[in-house]
Amino acid sequence: MEFSHDRSGDTLVVNASGRVDGSNASDFLESLQGLFDPGDQQIILDLGGLEYISSAGLRVLLMAAQNLDKQNKSFSICSLTESVGDVFRISGFDQIISVFPSVEAAKQG
Amino acid sequence: MTQAYRILVVDDEPDLEPLILQRMRRQIRSNQYEFVFAQNGVEALEKLSADPTIDMGLSDINMPKMDGLTLLQQLPDVDPNLRAVIISAYGDMDNIRTAMNRGAFDFVTKPIDFDDLKITITRTLEHLAEWREALSSRDQLVALQNELSIASQLQQSILPKKPPVSNQFEVSANMEPARNVGGDFYDYFNLEDQIGLVVADVSDKGIPASMFMMSSRTALKGAAIGVREPHMVLSEINNQLQQDNPTFMFVTLIYALFNPDSGSLTYSIAGHDPPMLVSADGAVTELPLTKGVALGIAPDVVYTQESVTLAPGDTVVLYTDGVTEAMNADNQQFGLERLTEVFEGKPPENAQAANEAVFAHVRNFAGDAPQSDDITCLTLRRP
Repeated sequence: MEFSHDRSGDTLVVNASGRVDGSNASDFLESLQGLFDPGDQQIILDLGGLEYISSAGLRVLLMAAQNLDKQNKSFSICSLTESVGDVFRISGFDQIISVFPSVEAAKQG
Repeated sequence: MTQAYRILVVDDEPDLEPLILQRMRRQIRSNQYEFVFAQNGVEALEKLSADPTIDMGLSDINMPKMDGLTLLQQLPDVDPNLRAVIISAYGDMDNIRTAMNRGAFDFVTKPIDFDDLKITITRTLEHLAEWREALSSRDQLVALQNELSIASQLQQSILPKKPPVSNQFEVSANMEPARNVGGDFYDYFNLEDQIGLVVADVSDKGIPASMFMMSSRTALKGAAIGVREPHMVLSEINNQLQQDNPTFMFVTLIYALFNPDSGSLTYSIAGHDPPMLVSADGAVTELPLTKGVALGIAPDVVYTQESVTLAPGDTVVLYTDGVTEAMNADNQQFGLERLTEVFEGKPPENAQAANEAVFAHVRNFAGDAPQSDDITCLTLRRP
């Protein structure tokens, strides 16, 4: 699992790649939240490089989303590969977390 | 000599005491169980305070002086580790729901089916034994590894042991736990003229996840008795599970209701892979997904349901993602396509053969690669 990020104004785009499962889900959450600045208003998680996410991974995404929601910040994910997209669709998480086809689409909300 | 488990039976009906002593005489004679009786909640609390060796309670709901629901509320003050099973009228959803919210471990319905009661008692006591071990291990601050192995025993202890036997249908189920991770379970139960089937996957591991699994299982069984439509059952338990869930644990599951007379199977899905239908002629189709979200994370989710009629020779396969996401040494997944190939042109002879075929193919595919998730499969066939 690897992260890179790019901040412009109050928008933070985080790229996560690799695999998220039960063995690294809590590290994933910690690393992700470690990138947030108090000034970030919109956080976009680009999962284009994510090969696999397990239910433990979905759970930490949900925790991150709810934390940001409590602070009235926007959180969305984008650029899902077909298999990761299926996981979101089947689990119904695409109804809980905003999903966009691309970073650009996510920026426009 | 092992000590008998002590069970407190609380009921104001005088008939129950001789009936239990008669129907449980073998267990009593072989020193498995000892029964203590109380007529109402007040007397039950007195007996519990006086006798700390009581392991579990079996209580009616409607009783004079103190009813079963009030008793449940008071129990933790007397013994927080006591496990209580409630006896309720069939279909009495409100009371079952309240009992569950107040920490009842399980319930049986009236008129009491003693085979069912024996199974429920065994399961409760097995669970209690695991729970005590978990507690004592926690006290010693043992390694996580040990906690996980206890969690896996808790998980095993909630699985039903014997599928229902009928000449109208066959059910076979199996769960192969991963070494560390996983929270799969399955269940089946009789609902008057129909049979309820469940396959589920809890999002986390460890003892808290086992507890969540337990609540999910009991909530589902309770809701299934009170509400007939599978999609209503899922809405009901979603709201129950979501109420007090600060760590966003969730469970994905399929709940299906099979009518053996008509062959109709109605199912509703909460964030889970849809079932697979293997027709008698060997054609394989994935049944449609229904609308819904994994249980426990969002309030007031709308679930929908679908129905399919099984013709003689048709088999339905319910599974968890441990099947389709099983990996081989090259990091490839077993996948839906390989699962389809298990049955395409090869309709199974019976439900057990269908179940064994799934596990054999997954094992063969995975080879020596470590198993990263629980693998669960439940098959239902109409002969």
